[in-house]
Amino acid sequence: MNRDVYVIGVGMHPFSKEYHPLRDMYYTAGVDALKDAGLDFRDIGSLYNGYIGGTMMEGTGYAKDLGLTGVPIVHVENASATGSSAFREAVWSVSGGASDVAMAMGFDDMLRMSVARKKPAPGAKKGIPSFENTLLPAGFFAMWAVRRMHEMGTTVETYAKIAAKNWNHARHNPMAQRRADHEITVEEVLAAPMVAHPHTAMMACASGGGAACAIVATEEWAKKHANGRPMVKVLASQLQSEVYTEGHIFMGAVVGPSYSTERTAKMAYEEAGIGPEDLSLVQVHDAFPIEELMYYELLGICGEGEGDRLVHDGDTAIGGKIPFSTDGGLIARGHPGGPTGIAQVWDAVRQLRGDQGKFQVEGAQNALVHMMGAGSVCAVHILQKV
Amino acid sequence: MTNQIPLEDGYMIIPEDPEGPCRLLGSYSKAADKTYFPIRKRCPITEKEVETVELSTEGELYSWSFVFMPRMGSMKLAAGGGFGVGQIDLPEGVRIQSVIDGEQKDFKIGMKMRLAANPLVTDDDGTEYCGFKFVPVKED
Repeated sequence: MNRDVYVIGVGMHPFSKEYHPLRDMYYTAGVDALKDAGLDFRDIGSLYNGYIGGTMMEGTGYAKDLGLTGVPIVHVENASATGSSAFREAVWSVSGGASDVAMAMGFDDMLRMSVARKKPAPGAKKGIPSFENTLLPAGFFAMWAVRRMHEMGTTVETYAKIAAKNWNHARHNPMAQRRADHEITVEEVLAAPMVAHPHTAMMACASGGGAACAIVATEEWAKKHANGRPMVKVLASQLQSEVYTEGHIFMGAVVGPSYSTERTAKMAYEEAGIGPEDLSLVQVHDAFPIEELMYYELLGICGEGEGDRLVHDGDTAIGGKIPFSTDGGLIARGHPGGPTGIAQVWDAVRQLRGDQGKFQVEGAQNALVHMMGAGSVCAVHILQKV
Repeated sequence: MTNQIPLEDGYMIIPEDPEGPCRLLGSYSKAADKTYFPIRKRCPITEKEVETVELSTEGELYSWSFVFMPRMGSMKLAAGGGFGVGQIDLPEGVRIQSVIDGEQKDFKIGMKMRLAANPLVTDDDGTEYCGFKFVPVKED
């Protein structure tokens, strides 16, 4: 990066399956982040709106509630990695010198998402599905899980343990969609209705609505607005699309080859100048527990085939050696779409500041946030307390 | 005789002879010596030209799941509550994601699977619009 970049403010509207107007959630997250940073909207030099399901102009319209300042606004969409991509654009805007302060906003409601109806091509008939929509994400990740069971002897209980851990992490997160009133057990997760073998409904990410916002700035602005708190520096910002791998799937692939994560993380570690052994906590695209399990290995936290042991030793729970999905992850904090990647940043920044109370990772120094976006892309950011 | 046609052009061939096997269409890159599915505009590795080829109709099951959601083209759960999905490796080095026929207990990684047309929508005139599926090959 040409200039050092810091996250100086974060804000959220809680993720929920209850209906809240997108406009209200946008405003809440935006004002929350501005207040956290000690800024006025007129201080924002560029704004990146991340949303998947909205209509044309929607984000720019909602930004008018924050103010009319002439700020350049751009809509960013990268499937599940939409928020991460908006965050990356804000980081690069500051790093490259286009602005000193930039805002990344993510908002969506997965349960009420409008899907654009394309006009059929000449000769095609309405109501005929496309070859490209053969497979749902639930089926795709379930096939990862079945293959892993075949190759590594992973058990369904291991998947259930990861899901239960993430449900329990979310219990004290006020922004989480799934906040259980009791300690979730492996037995409960296994007893939930089956979605796609071997994944039950309690292993599947929570669909709902929400908004999240992050403000990034130069070192000068960060120092001025630290307000006695630790500063949070962006050490790495990487985004990659697919490269060819053996058995490459072009049609219906949801998130491409798993190696995308390994490749993008390696680039992020090189940029950051730190390695997986230096991380205090990690957020990943845990749409299903098989993903989190594989990312332990693909992010270099452990060797190939060693992820199951991490789960059984409790290493990836808060209080363990390297906590994953500390805010509940996609499974329990939720996955509305656009805001998800920025919600990861919200937790990472607050963890590094020591502000997360009952779900605080003690002594957090470095955090990695990772998202996959269908299509597919992989985004990895590394944040450090300075 | 039922008239079956693919959902879209460029993915598969369904012969008029009901006994003839349907075939998936892929691209072969001579420069990379790789085959891809579905058809590519050009080789994604070498950026050289590709030729359209018909792919093998049999392969091995690489992974599978049984999904309890509505099938493609439907808003209702299928009778029995779900359906199989699989990844099938063809001899050309191509991995296909597809609906697979059978019950959950039937699926085993490495088992042989054969391509078949998968009627999804029937028009007023009786024309069946087909995707594809793979069916377990019964070993003697």
